[in-house]
Amino acid sequence: MSKLVIKADNISKRYMLGTIGSGSLRRDMQNWWSSSFLNNDKTDIDNPLGKTDSKDQIWALKDINLEIKEGETWGIVGSNGAGKSTFLKILSRIIKPTSGSIKGRGRISSLLEVGTGFHSELTGRENIFISGHILGMKKAEIQQKFDEIVEFSGVENFLDTPVKRYSSGMYVRLAFAVAAHLEPDILIIDEVLAVGDAEFQKKCLGKMNDASTQKGRTIIFVSHNLQAVSNLCSNAIWLDKGSMRESGPSKTVINSYLNATFSKKWKHEVTDIKLAPGNENIRVTYIELIPHLANPYDVIDIRTPLTIKFRFYNANDNICLSTDLLLFTSMGDCIFDVPSKPTIYNRGFVEGECTIPGNFLNDGSFYFTLHFSKDTSIELFSFDNCLMFDIADYRENSNWYDKWWGYVRPNFPLLLNPVGENNLLK
Amino acid sequence: MKGHASKELWDWEIRPETPWFSTSLKELFQYKDLIIQLVRKDFLGSYQQTLLGPFWVLLQPLLTVLIYVLVFNKFIGISTGSTPPFLFNLIGITLWGLFSETFLQLSKTFSQNIEIFSKVYFPRVIVAISSLSLQIILFGIQLLLLCCAYSYFAATGIVDFNFARIFLIFPAIVVTAGIAFGGGLIFSVLTAKYRDLLPLLHMLIRLLMFVCPIFYSVAMVPENIQWVVKINPLSSQFELFRYSFLGSGTVEVPELLYSGGFMIIIVLLGTLLFNKMSDRLMDVL
Repeated sequence: MSKLVIKADNISKRYMLGTIGSGSLRRDMQNWWSSSFLNNDKTDIDNPLGKTDSKDQIWALKDINLEIKEGETWGIVGSNGAGKSTFLKILSRIIKPTSGSIKGRGRISSLLEVGTGFHSELTGRENIFISGHILGMKKAEIQQKFDEIVEFSGVENFLDTPVKRYSSGMYVRLAFAVAAHLEPDILIIDEVLAVGDAEFQKKCLGKMNDASTQKGRTIIFVSHNLQAVSNLCSNAIWLDKGSMRESGPSKTVINSYLNATFSKKWKHEVTDIKLAPGNENIRVTYIELIPHLANPYDVIDIRTPLTIKFRFYNANDNICLSTDLLLFTSMGDCIFDVPSKPTIYNRGFVEGECTIPGNFLNDGSFYFTLHFSKDTSIELFSFDNCLMFDIADYRENSNWYDKWWGYVRPNFPLLLNPVGENNLLK
Repeated sequence: MKGHASKELWDWEIRPETPWFSTSLKELFQYKDLIIQLVRKDFLGSYQQTLLGPFWVLLQPLLTVLIYVLVFNKFIGISTGSTPPFLFNLIGITLWGLFSETFLQLSKTFSQNIEIFSKVYFPRVIVAISSLSLQIILFGIQLLLLCCAYSYFAATGIVDFNFARIFLIFPAIVVTAGIAFGGGLIFSVLTAKYRDLLPLLHMLIRLLMFVCPIFYSVAMVPENIQWVVKINPLSSQFELFRYSFLGSGTVEVPELLYSGGFMIIIVLLGTLLFNKMSDRLMDVL
């Protein structure tokens, strides 16, 4: 059994809103005096119950408990403002928690941005040393890895040029190269992969993967790129408004996170026909999106087939009616328009169903519109944006973490055959 | 304290409160490479894309002396006695350069390094120590210039050189640098919290310069207002510094003790305050 390397007990962090401090030197001095020497927190005197005015403060983190074992990789997910960065800053000793404690073993390095400590006037070579030292490397360590760092960054020819003349890409590559060669026992990484091109991102994630799988380092990683988190991290915690909503295996946590945050409008059902959306011709009483999921709490990903069922009331007799199911992206581009065969109907309810196979749509946000027409051209009613859903990404054995291009992602077979060298001439 | 009860051993622990003295000398020693790098960075960084580069270190006191000699000695007519005005002023300016630059650079510790401080942890006092080291190195270079000028005047017999006396410059340097260090640390915390204190600080330094015997000696000040100069703990050190070179000046032991005691107190106060506040300032900045 591997040993614990980090143990966080009831970590909380409170921030005061508005002007920090009272704004006057004299009152700050008084507060400071009473809280430092007389050991009484002023807020506690004002409020004997210990409740300070909730308008003036915000708990960025509340009672976080976490145990991390050696060699584990942890991802932290959560929406903006959930306290992810605050947590990392506390772990990396930049800010102090308001209460609670963290105990740990081993050397810890944090990578909260790329290029920490870079001096724009100095050359690449100088900056490798400066940044390396600031991030906690020893001189011998940097000298030993210098060539490796230069090679990884790919800026050999510009090593003696001030970094202010670098392109932003080169700057980032050099900065990350230094950071990637850190060899602490625990590495903390915040969203650094948001920079650089896809090729470089891949290289960085690969490097991080090596560090955890081959060298047994503990990694704590925050990213909005859930694909990267789920591929790289074995465990994850989900922070929501400062509290820990869930922790455990990364796939499970990410699923719950996606389920809770993705926008959903999967079903419309109206029992009273007069209130149903529509007009004097058409009333839609029911429409539902039914994903084919093994477990109802799973997330719709690109592999999931989707069935749309609907029922509407047709108020006219002897009418040539057809419906169109239109799918739009969140940007408003139409992906497809599937029509039904125009048929003569009499007054009454009509039901419809359509299934979109799995492995067809790409990940993203989509919405449906249901369109009714008479004689295939005269619009009767258009039920705009009636269903909204998100499709999560899913990739197997892929080292590509960037957004997959396109609105659709069909897996048509693309076959390559080696044909030898000489066949070219024929 | 509960941690001791359990058998588990931890390398480090993060707690909400900051002790007054958390950074051990051993920890600082581990960061010696970083100190060297920061000094290098500041030194190299400040002379990139300049015409004269590091020569400014020598040029600056020389130009200042030139102006002082012109204004104070030629125009106003302050007498420097048998000492050449050039040497007299250079002695004062060299030591004053150490004080004012160290004080000013240190008081910017937080406001200038916030980018780094908010992204990576190391004992914050490292930056202060590296600023101090750089200033001492620059002072060393200027001191060499002073020694060159001094040897010329000593060789020509204009000033009186005494081998034992010259070593008195070291206590003067240590105390002056110490006061600048302690004061700089205190102001680094204050300017981080109250930004408008930085221009005020510039003014304070300029005022301090006039109550410091740089281009005059304490003996020239009328007796009834001498206390204004003597209340400045730097004054006796400047007199001592000049005495060690020229053999003239008002050097009194009680004043030196007052000055030394002041230094010890301000260094302690500055270090403790800096250490205590450095974590808390991160929430403010």
